Amino acid sequence: MLLKINDIKQKALIDINSVKDMAKLDVFRIKYLARKGLVADLFDDLKNIETTERPAIGKSLNELRNIIQTLFDEKKKFIEALTHQQKQILDLTLPGRPKWVGTQHPITRTLEEIKNIFFRMGFSEAFGPEIEDDYHNFEALNFPKDHPARDMQDTFFIDEKILLRTHTSPVQIRVMENHQPPVRIIAPGRVYRNEAVSARSYCLFHQVEGLYVDVGVTFSELKGTLVAFAKQFYGSEIKYRFRPSFFPFTEPSAEMDITCFICKGKGCRICKNTGWLEILGCGMVDPGVYKYVGYDPEKYTGYAFGMGIERITMLRYGIDDIRILFENDIRFLQQF
Amino acid sequence: MRVSLNWLKEYIDIPVSLDELANSLTMVGLEVESIERLGEKYKNFLIGQVLEVNAHPKADKLTICKVNVGKEICPIVCGAPNVRTGQFVAVGKEGAIIPRNQHDPEGKPFVLSRVKIRGIESQGMICSEYELDLGEDKEGILVLDPTSEVGIPLADYLGLNDTVLEIGITPNRPDAMSHLGIAREIGAILNRDFRIPVTNLKESKRSIGDFVSVLIKDFQNCPRYTGRLIFNIKIEPSPKWLQNRLTSVGIRPINNIVDVTNYVLMECGHPLHAFDYDKLTGQSIIIRSAEKNETFTTLDHKPRVLREDTLLICDSKFPIAIAGVMGGLNSEISQSTVNVFLESAYFDPQSIRRTSKHFGISTDASQRFERGADPNITEWAVNRASYLIQQIAGGEVLIGSIDVYPKKINTKEVELRIDKLNELLGINLTTESVSSYLNKIFIKPKDAKSTSDLNKSIIFEIPTFRPDVEREIDLIEEVARLYGYDNIETKARSNIQFPEDPPEKDFQNEIRQFFIGNGFFEVVSNSMQKIDNATISEEKIVKISNPISADMAILRTSLLPSILGVIQTNISHGSKNIRFFEIGKVYCKVNSDRYDGAINGFYEEDRIILAISGQALPIGWVEKPRFIDIYDLKGEVEALFRKIFLDNMKFIPYSNTNALSEMGLHIEIKGKYAGLVGKVSKDLLNKFDIDQDVYFAEMNIESLTKNFKVEQKFSPLSIYPSVMRDIAIIIDENISTDDVEKQIKECGSTYLRKVELFDVYVGEQIGPNNKSRTFALEFMAEDHTMKQKEVDQIMQKIMKDLEIKFNAIIRKQEMSD
Repeated sequence: MLLKINDIKQKALIDINSVKDMAKLDVFRIKYLARKGLVADLFDDLKNIETTERPAIGKSLNELRNIIQTLFDEKKKFIEALTHQQKQILDLTLPGRPKWVGTQHPITRTLEEIKNIFFRMGFSEAFGPEIEDDYHNFEALNFPKDHPARDMQDTFFIDEKILLRTHTSPVQIRVMENHQPPVRIIAPGRVYRNEAVSARSYCLFHQVEGLYVDVGVTFSELKGTLVAFAKQFYGSEIKYRFRPSFFPFTEPSAEMDITCFICKGKGCRICKNTGWLEILGCGMVDPGVYKYVGYDPEKYTGYAFGMGIERITMLRYGIDDIRILFENDIRFLQQF
Repeated sequence: MRVSLNWLKEYIDIPVSLDELANSLTMVGLEVESIERLGEKYKNFLIGQVLEVNAHPKADKLTICKVNVGKEICPIVCGAPNVRTGQFVAVGKEGAIIPRNQHDPEGKPFVLSRVKIRGIESQGMICSEYELDLGEDKEGILVLDPTSEVGIPLADYLGLNDTVLEIGITPNRPDAMSHLGIAREIGAILNRDFRIPVTNLKESKRSIGDFVSVLIKDFQNCPRYTGRLIFNIKIEPSPKWLQNRLTSVGIRPINNIVDVTNYVLMECGHPLHAFDYDKLTGQSIIIRSAEKNETFTTLDHKPRVLREDTLLICDSKFPIAIAGVMGGLNSEISQSTVNVFLESAYFDPQSIRRTSKHFGISTDASQRFERGADPNITEWAVNRASYLIQQIAGGEVLIGSIDVYPKKINTKEVELRIDKLNELLGINLTTESVSSYLNKIFIKPKDAKSTSDLNKSIIFEIPTFRPDVEREIDLIEEVARLYGYDNIETKARSNIQFPEDPPEKDFQNEIRQFFIGNGFFEVVSNSMQKIDNATISEEKIVKISNPISADMAILRTSLLPSILGVIQTNISHGSKNIRFFEIGKVYCKVNSDRYDGAINGFYEEDRIILAISGQALPIGWVEKPRFIDIYDLKGEVEALFRKIFLDNMKFIPYSNTNALSEMGLHIEIKGKYAGLVGKVSKDLLNKFDIDQDVYFAEMNIESLTKNFKVEQKFSPLSIYPSVMRDIAIIIDENISTDDVEKQIKECGSTYLRKVELFDVYVGEQIGPNNKSRTFALEFMAEDHTMKQKEVDQIMQKIMKDLEIKFNAIIRKQEMSD
């Protein structure tokens, strides 16, 4: 028995030397230390030994087990340390596994920012069709038939009465047709103009329309709202001005300019040397419009405004050709 | 409109700087879009006189000239063969920018500097017509009028010492479409009077009535017709001052008669027309509507087929002009014209507008008539023109004018309530100050005594040159713009209404952000496409009746062609790995059904498209590159469905190829068609010149958002462990994995939490037409730890079920960690 013990001890000492990794170590463990391993077998044999010899042999057996266990533990520590060292050898300067990175189109990005500012001011959102009728796009907005004001917006027609909306203003009419004041909405969407495609104009673009009608709405408040918007969007340091203008569906009408943020008002190519950039058109809803939607012009007043998303986007990012927005070149999209 | 500053100064003194003037015009609604200093181009060019011409010692073709340029006499080396002593010439001095370089193939400008030419210093350059950009002659120097003054700027000589303001006139302001009109506005801004020019006519003894009569047959479209006759004029080019005036505002001088009519047009805004009296048949002018299909040749030599709503000016037999739009070739003023009939009429704006639109002719005259001319200025205008013609072209102005004006158009009366004005604008003006603002633009109270501050409402008389002012609101606008928009306080009202409905969730944006987060580029593309790209039957396509080009003749019926166009562009620019999505509309015609968000007879649908192509993974050093396949795309779509907690959806493979895709799946949500996942067909790729596979998924946004789970209810997490089992089955390959999964779930009882496919095998070992699929199943109970036995029972049931339903062979069933 003692010979056997010694024999196993020698074998284990040899075996442990050839163990280089965790897998082999496990093989070693199973061979010697597992429940059915060689050491356990010897303990099983113990019951066949004379009772007088048992304590001595039992002691030797325990010693054997401890030795092998120590061998195992030390080897385990060694291998773990080794693996740890190997890990340290990994080249951490290599780049990680790359991921695709997406971007939001600058048009929808600008639109979203504008929407969020107006949402915080208590405006809700309304929509209307892009294929519109003449009534909503022109007539109810106070564009008389055979009136030069219609030339302000070159129109794509589907047939005599149906067209592609030239602005988001018909949504004003649709909202007022279906709701009594107070109405306080913005209406974003795509609009179309039959103009030659160039660096400065594209056959379609996007607008955000705004409308607020209630008792006692004033021009002064229109200014207040739009100035608040402009400051939130362009920065609180901007200067602004409201110029009289003309839109058939608002009166008085205005265009809002802010100081050119490229030249800070000194005059440059972008602002055509005026120092000002036009950012939106606005005005008090013309009483003529109320007649079409059945509002009492004596009781209600309101304001409306509209702005072009592409223009704002181009100014914001310094883009000088509108077509690049619709070309969707990845090298362009990646920049946003 | 181009407005000459010198011209303006004839009518009003302008004691402020140009910038101030431009700014104040802009701030009353006459936006100064640009300022052009006409002489700027010829800065550092002077008029010189050649005193001596000497040979150049070192060059045969060059001469050394001594040129007097006023302040000095300069040596100038000149290469022109026509230079002679005594000539008046244009001299560019140091710093001048020569507009066109004769020696440059593209004629690019260059800056003149002091140079030595073959050893001789040249202190300037004598220029050719070409070099000055005044003509095309390059052969020699430009020789000027011998009466020129030496030393004056060339710009002055050319009449270019003027500044032109480009003013954007809005369509409501016909009154401002002239120099007098602008002067009137400046008068209001600066509180100054403006001067109306004189018309001291010398009339002859002969009376106009003996030579011409006017008959208006259509008073509605021609409420007033005024005319004068001038005999024995001499057609000549206009004098320089008149030519310069017209050129500065962009009108080409023609001859003294036509130029005067254009001058008066730009002066007072009223269009005139001059007829060659001797070319008229008979002695009568008749104003009538055209007959159907009547033809007429206009001044631009174009024969026109007229409509019944075209208003004509006729002699006793033939049309001689399309009223207010364009004259006729048959009565045009020519070199041989001696006697002139001058027309100054007032036409109905709508009639002119219709005609101008119909023929596509927009002239200075039609633009003013369609916006609304002043019916009460016709006589002044015709007299002014007659006076100028007399001054310039001589001639005898016959006594009297013809003036057919049966129903005088009077000033309108409009009531203005001061409270209404203050309420709307949010300001606080007194009655008196309101009146004084309006007074500046000649809008006067009917009763002069009514402007006391006690009076809260005044009736104003609106002059006929302001056809846009008809209502109270129009007066409010006038006051507002003169008061100054910038003077109106900027304030936000405090008592705004708060919305009561819960805010709507922006599903589109949620989907957008999801795909951006998953590495997709968002694109925004043109919704107008060529008809070849339509994906529906012809009669349903929304066609544009006046498209810009055939490439944009219809509204898209699918987002796929739009995005393929974008992919094509990118591939051609070298970007071959594509991960795009777009949210946009598609359009079609429908039968009378009324759809939300569309007008009758049309349908607009919000869709999302995903399109991927090229490499599946970004270039890296770890993973092996591989091309995208349909599972990449399907995975992206499934991820979206998981993100929005969409169940009840199904992918249904279809094998028949169609115009769009050669293989793919229909997506059904709650049993309704919601979109398509597929591989773009070769035919379609060829159309777009794309030679790599493209996979796409196009879905209806509404069917996604309708099933978007807005409010997730929390389910408590089980404290009991789950039990995992794998099951591998061999069944007919035609049975879809979806169906198998569904079957497993159905008999898996509530304890079955998850079924996931994790291995697929096809091979000889399992027989032809068969497919082995391995699923991982997770079981869990909420109230106890499930025993193996319990799970075994359920697994038995599942297996039996699969055997019966699908004739499945169970390969193995294992416990898994």
